[in-house]
Amino acid sequence: MFFHIVLERNMQLHPRHFGRNLRDNIVSKLMKDVEGTCSGRHGFVVAITGIENIGKGLIRDGTGFVTFPVKYQCVVFRPFKGEILEAVVTMVNKMGFFAEAGPVQIFVSNHLIPDDMEFQSGDMPNYTTSDGSVKIQKDSEVRLKIIGTRVDATEIFCIGTIKDDFLGVINDPAAA
Amino acid sequence: MSVEPFNKLVKLAARAFYDDITTKGDNQPKNGRSDNRGIAVVVLDALTRRQWVREEDLAKDLKLHSKQLRRTLRFFEEEKLVTRDHRRETAKGAKIFSAAVAATVDGQHPKDGDEKIKMHTHSYCCLDYAQIYDVVRYRLHRMKKKLKDELEDKNTVQEYICPNCSKRYNALDALRLISLVDEYFHCESCNGELVAESDKLVAQEGGDGDDNARRRRREKLKDMLQKMEVQLKPLMDQLARVKDLTVPEFGSLLAWEARASAASRAANGDSNGNDPSRSSQGGYSATPMPFLGDTKVVVEFTEPDGKGEDIKSIAESTGLKVLPPWMIKQGMNLTKEQRGDVKQETMMDGSLSAAETSDDKKSITGNDEKKILQDEYYKAYYAAILEAAAKQTEEMSNTQMSNSESSASSSRQVGIKSKRDEDEGDDDVGWEEAPVAGNNANENYKVNDLNVEADPIADDDDEDDVDWEEEVGTVSASIRQYSSSHLGCVVVMPYPDLKHGMVLTLLFPFWFQKVVPFEFFRSVKHVYKFNHFTYY
Repeated sequence: MFFHIVLERNMQLHPRHFGRNLRDNIVSKLMKDVEGTCSGRHGFVVAITGIENIGKGLIRDGTGFVTFPVKYQCVVFRPFKGEILEAVVTMVNKMGFFAEAGPVQIFVSNHLIPDDMEFQSGDMPNYTTSDGSVKIQKDSEVRLKIIGTRVDATEIFCIGTIKDDFLGVINDPAAA
Repeated sequence: MSVEPFNKLVKLAARAFYDDITTKGDNQPKNGRSDNRGIAVVVLDALTRRQWVREEDLAKDLKLHSKQLRRTLRFFEEEKLVTRDHRRETAKGAKIFSAAVAATVDGQHPKDGDEKIKMHTHSYCCLDYAQIYDVVRYRLHRMKKKLKDELEDKNTVQEYICPNCSKRYNALDALRLISLVDEYFHCESCNGELVAESDKLVAQEGGDGDDNARRRRREKLKDMLQKMEVQLKPLMDQLARVKDLTVPEFGSLLAWEARASAASRAANGDSNGNDPSRSSQGGYSATPMPFLGDTKVVVEFTEPDGKGEDIKSIAESTGLKVLPPWMIKQGMNLTKEQRGDVKQETMMDGSLSAAETSDDKKSITGNDEKKILQDEYYKAYYAAILEAAAKQTEEMSNTQMSNSESSASSSRQVGIKSKRDEDEGDDDVGWEEAPVAGNNANENYKVNDLNVEADPIADDDDEDDVDWEEEVGTVSASIRQYSSSHLGCVVVMPYPDLKHGMVLTLLFPFWFQKVVPFEFFRSVKHVYKFNHFTYY
């Protein structure tokens, strides 16, 4: 699920960036630092949408670096148990397949794949129904439901299922 | 509002889910003697036969140790089957409850124990039928869902085990376990190939995770689901039966106490001849006084000269502030205002009709001669009416002579108390014994007010007592006769100006249905401009 929230961060800025473009420098450094990171608490920071305010800088003793407290708005993405996501398959093996929905990695184990789909090994491993009409392989798009998440301080990993109504392949790259 | 289907539900649920629940203290060793399985069922069954019950009493009834019972009840409270209430109270407070219980469970009266001023915390418990219904339904739903999910492998996190070092992983570790070499997961510590562990339900069977084990597991689950359907069928049927019924609701402990004692008043009022004087003497201080609450008669006056206002004020004061006397018990916190009116009424030894109170007030407030004259007039008029009525119902009077006599005497006694004492004179002695006779025939109380109006006639007309008694007797007898077939009767008598009448409304339903809401009597406000005497 996506959220638009306000976060705060202390930015350390080298004295060489001081000058007319101080503010721009802070913002660009913030974007570089923060976008794409993951915190267990808020999820993945997808994008910074605006700066709320930049506080007074504090010069660090000895180094000359200045710390600015920055409040910024950003879009975060955090997967939840029970959430339905669309994801792209990245790897298929005997144990199941891995997929990515944006930054988040999802593993679907083989017993959460419908029983009528069988694993086919080869140079393009895939799961196929007995009549061959549905095929899950690398780069397939699947709709899946998250049934478990592991949230670490800097990492979120999910396991999903496609064994439910309206779940499964939504676009087959081989057919396209 | 029948409790029976709900009780059956509770009993079924108890046997289905709580049959082998042991409530054991953690420190107790497990041996044969302390095996208390089945107690949960016994306790629940006992609760279906009670409403609110003090836990000590329940323990005594079940011959259980109160600690053991409390442990069981706490368990049920957590299971949301039982509501409990704790309060600190004196021995006296506990007695109020005992009275309420005596009324609902069986007629036994609590013994007057030595009164300790010490405060004790008493716990009460009661089944919460509405919640039980929901809880049982939810439990069944969860059971079914769990089995079905299990059956369809939904929402299960696959576990993997390393056959070499038997280290366990689950699917959430998958990212770390992928090997670059092949398509299997590998153990982090020994790099052995992991195998998927089949579900926990068959794990103990040593399933090795292949298709065979999976199939076996599915069969087992299916079997369980089927067994569940069959074995819990009676419970589910009962749930379906109960679905559209109104749930018996006992309310909170306090509300229930008040209600139960009210019901007991009504029950006593028409079954046993428990004499009001005895209870007021405090022999059973907590037992409800049987007759106090049975205010069955409402009299409405309308008079042009401001008497109506007097009555109105009475009606108002009885309306909101004053609690009905059957609700007033020892130990209740009441303002003086609430109690005041009632005290006055209780002094009248059981009859609480508004007519008498108003009569009293009139005699106190308006002492002018005109009113007295009017009073005398209508009394005389009323006597004439009674005579007419007596003729109509002569046959009845003959058959019910004995009854009517007692009723007449009792009613006279009441009437005199409410009237001025000057009427009494030497007859006093004869009337003193009246309540004893009167109390045997309960119906007489409903007739009281008729007789209140009637009794001064004796003085006015200088009739002899026997004649008078007969007349009143026939009236009361005929009313009694009507009571078996009619809902009530309205007795109308005129005022001297002949434009306005006084209506006595006698309501009979309390014969059939034990509790008559107090509001009902307040809502009866009919005034007819009649100058004759009618039965409806």
